[in-house]
Amino acid sequence: MADCPPLPDPTDGEGDRTDPPDADLPDSVLSARAAEGDDDAFAILVRRHSRSLLALAYRLLGNVPDAEEALQDALVNAWRRLPDFRGDATFRTWMYRIVTNRCLTVLRSRAPSVPLDAVPEAAAHDAGGQPARAAESAAATEALAQALARLRPDQRACWILRELHGLSYEEIAQVVGMSETTVRGRLFRARRTLTKEMASWR
Amino acid sequence: MALEDAGAVSPNPERPQDAGTPGSTGPADPARLVGDERLPCGRLVSEAWDQARTHADRRDPHMAGCPHCRQAAEGLVALDRATRVLRDERPSARMVADRVIEAVRAETRLGRLLPLDDCERDLRVAETSAAKVLRRAADTVPGVRAASCRLFPDEHGGTAVDIVMTLASTLDRPLPARGAQVRRAVAYAAQRQLGLAARRIDLKFVSVLETGRRPAAGRPVGTSGP
Repeated sequence: MADCPPLPDPTDGEGDRTDPPDADLPDSVLSARAAEGDDDAFAILVRRHSRSLLALAYRLLGNVPDAEEALQDALVNAWRRLPDFRGDATFRTWMYRIVTNRCLTVLRSRAPSVPLDAVPEAAAHDAGGQPARAAESAAATEALAQALARLRPDQRACWILRELHGLSYEEIAQVVGMSETTVRGRLFRARRTLTKEMASWR
Repeated sequence: MALEDAGAVSPNPERPQDAGTPGSTGPADPARLVGDERLPCGRLVSEAWDQARTHADRRDPHMAGCPHCRQAAEGLVALDRATRVLRDERPSARMVADRVIEAVRAETRLGRLLPLDDCERDLRVAETSAAKVLRRAADTVPGVRAASCRLFPDEHGGTAVDIVMTLASTLDRPLPARGAQVRRAVAYAAQRQLGLAARRIDLKFVSVLETGRRPAAGRPVGTSGP
């Protein structure tokens, strides 16, 4: 056995601890742990971010099964690539990037024209208020989902990241790998097309 | 709120005359230079959008009478409304998260194998497992959480191991005292729980944990749950 002198138990005299459980640790701490193979830390990150990321993939791809598959591939890939994650972006931005790239690859591999009734699924949401208004609101939302599905993938990605996920121009530029100026241009085109398509729903 | 678009909703819109001409030095907002479009009435689409999101009393009188501007604005209002609904349509990710976590646990990385402090010198421990134990030891110090934990074996083939850790800490107590506590806790765990001959323990405080309330930094709103 080692011949170091015996060490005092370091927990002596430490009273009640009020530290947060691991589930509340910041992304930076958890991603540093996960990068070194700590699967518990990675599991927390997955639970924390998967819902946003699935929403992103769902809007990009237009249906839940494709979105789930893309997200699963992206997250397992992220686990393998985490040792290369240097923290120059936030973990969230890095994950958005991996998922967006995965979805854009799926879109490129799809047949050039997907039948319109296949994209996207009917909107499923609980609209409140008067039934008639709710129905109209549901129809308008469905119209937006359809219009979104017809946008060019790069414009669609920029619009979703900005309007549905609230990312800054700078973050979007990191996610899609374009300059901020290009991102602004894509966003303008996307918004212009969508406002035209939505004009009849005022 | 971040979802508002600073590019298209600047509160004090200028009237850039050179929009759409790349390289011109007029307007400050590049959004105006990247594909903005002039309506038949001479206004820019982005200006009509600005107006649509401006309070009615402060609206440009031109808007009320111009069919082009009104049409652009109405489209934006309808788009904003539908966007808010779309934003809340988020399918449950529980199943896919479960599948990912299962897949990841099945391919757990061991990291390098480190010698234990044993006279036969034939016992090894995986870096990943040892790091987990040492992080947990550092975490026992109040206000401190371990982030990275790397272990480096002796280059000359001995059993000594150097430990390099980064830490997040609250700032309610001086860091040197905290560092000393962490060093003791890590040394104790290395020796007593793992049987490692820890030689150096390098500690670096790299981030701040909030005191009092739970550290929520980097945690986006509403991403947990079913």
